[in-house]
Amino acid sequence: MQLIAKLGILADAAKYDASCASSGAPKRSSKGSDGLGATNGMGICHSYTPDGRCVSLLKVLLTNFCLYDCQYCVNRRSSNVPRARFTPEEVVRLTLDFYRRNCISGLFLSSGIIRSADYTMEQLVRVARLLREEHDFRGYIHLKTIPDADPLLIEEAGRLADRLSVNIELPSDASLKRLAPEKQVATIRQAMGTIHRGQQAVAGEARAPRFTPAGQSTQMIVGADTSDDRTILRNAESLYQGYGLKRVYYSAFSPIPDSPDSVPLAAPPLLREHRLYQADFLMRGYGYKAGELLSEASNLALDIDPKLAWALSNREVFPVDINRAEPALLARIPGIGLRSVQRLVALRRERRVRYDDLIQLRCVLDKARPFIVTSDYRPALAETRSGLLRARLRDPVAPVQMGLWG
Amino acid sequence: MIALDCDDDFATWRDQARVLLGHGIDPAQVNWGQGPIQDLLAVADGLPDGPGPFRAKVPAELLAQLQLAARYRGEQRWNLLYEVLWRVAHGDRTAMLAGDRLGSELQRRIKQVTREAHHLHAFVRFVPLPTAVAEQLQLDLVAFHEPAHDILETASGHFAERLGRQRWLIATSRDGIRYDGKDFDYRRQCPPEWRQWAEQADDPDADLWLTYYRHTFNPARVNPDALRMHMPGRFWRHLPEGPLIPRLVGLARQGKQRDGQAQEVAEQGGKRISVVTR
Repeated sequence: MQLIAKLGILADAAKYDASCASSGAPKRSSKGSDGLGATNGMGICHSYTPDGRCVSLLKVLLTNFCLYDCQYCVNRRSSNVPRARFTPEEVVRLTLDFYRRNCISGLFLSSGIIRSADYTMEQLVRVARLLREEHDFRGYIHLKTIPDADPLLIEEAGRLADRLSVNIELPSDASLKRLAPEKQVATIRQAMGTIHRGQQAVAGEARAPRFTPAGQSTQMIVGADTSDDRTILRNAESLYQGYGLKRVYYSAFSPIPDSPDSVPLAAPPLLREHRLYQADFLMRGYGYKAGELLSEASNLALDIDPKLAWALSNREVFPVDINRAEPALLARIPGIGLRSVQRLVALRRERRVRYDDLIQLRCVLDKARPFIVTSDYRPALAETRSGLLRARLRDPVAPVQMGLWG
Repeated sequence: MIALDCDDDFATWRDQARVLLGHGIDPAQVNWGQGPIQDLLAVADGLPDGPGPFRAKVPAELLAQLQLAARYRGEQRWNLLYEVLWRVAHGDRTAMLAGDRLGSELQRRIKQVTREAHHLHAFVRFVPLPTAVAEQLQLDLVAFHEPAHDILETASGHFAERLGRQRWLIATSRDGIRYDGKDFDYRRQCPPEWRQWAEQADDPDADLWLTYYRHTFNPARVNPDALRMHMPGRFWRHLPEGPLIPRLVGLARQGKQRDGQAQEVAEQGGKRISVVTR
């Protein structure tokens, strides 16, 4: 089979993995030296596909032959898809060609399970080794880790790659048993633990060889089972705490051709995935706890964002005085982001902050107005009941076209 | 009214601004134009003589910010910088902070300039030259790009970090830059032959990237507004994948795509795998 035909099949097979980040790698440069590639911590999105997602890495499977039969996966062994397999050299060639053209900042390589977990992992490691050692490639490498592989292989991968990820796949153990019978929660968590220990072993040692400097991530499929958002976010929170994960990716289950009866035929609303990402960002960047975001309901509201939802159910905290409040509290005001908080703090060192300043900072005042006090403004709506406010601040819902096929 | 021209050059503007500030000249009294006629008038009798009596002290951070904002192409490009400088030099630091009307505009320009440098790093597409041509021109990679602000000179160092000893050039409709593996050659006027090499480079292997782009797209999630927000339409013209975008959106919208698989893959024969023992 020609390289271009393999590329078509193996890129198509890899698109369901949401992550494409190339950020967080240490500073590396190939200026004036052999080889290719640089990283500086900032990710670069080299293109966007019409689904609105960024293309930062060459994201392919080494092969989509697979012994497993995970029901939600297009590459499961019972799936009727065309199959292909790259040689490690072919992946290297594609990575270097796309990199030279400035189409990508690195490689994200995953694979179906062939022969055994160890054999598959060895093949992935071999690609990374060829790139790093034969071709002096200093770009970004993300390797998917096969959970049942020998910890020694995982450690070797960690020394070559910027990021490793093990997919948790589904939000609950019961769902994993039902939909991915060959996978086990225990080995998934063991692999995460191996990576986490590898990171801790070199933490604080400036001269130790790097180990996954861009961290560890995972992916959870949303909407392939009936788990609610509370289960999902609590699970994510425990992964952040237990294994020091950099990111949890939420992937709305994407309907696959020739779908088995065990998974839904339709995708969950993409808005649900979006709300989960917003909530996740609030946990990572703003210090919210999963329990705070879902104290009453078991699913995030779709009509308002989770920060606004929290503010509406915690009215006793507001209105917040922009000129006096702690930065952490400012960051909890709907419509005011972390960047604006920094700028407000800088400005109020010079003088009192006025309402017009918030307009200049492009804060989302429709959302912020009921929750703030400035030197020249107090909310008239402070007494308005949360129910009314919510109705007023709801995101406009685009009309949904009726499906022809129901 | 004092009329000046700095030839869109920051060092020239800085010298002019220093003299104006020394003489305590109010921003309302001075205007930087961008045409050659104003240039003639300006040099003749624009600037007062000598450094002037007023010794202004401004934070070093301000100078760096002005230098960045000076790369912004737009109305009042140089006047705005002088107004900020004048206010800060007279003790009003809010003129450089977002929140203040003038400070917000300064910060907005800085953000646009930084964003445009990021666009350069993201959307430049090099075409590899065939070996014979590469030897003849002493060039491995060529690209054509159209930045909206004057960022080419300062932002191109990024590619030397990425590309090792490769020799490359980036041509634009205004300026151009070339790297020979050791040194940069920046030209405010891009030599016409550079532009010609970049725009007419033959690319027999272009199909690999286009194939990847088509297949990494998930048609079940089609969302062209999000694409347009991150990758503005003005860049599509110079991206090899640009012409594919409307076609892929069209296909996904025709309702043929109820799942994520590309049509070309669906049309191929599949293969189920049988496992004998596990």
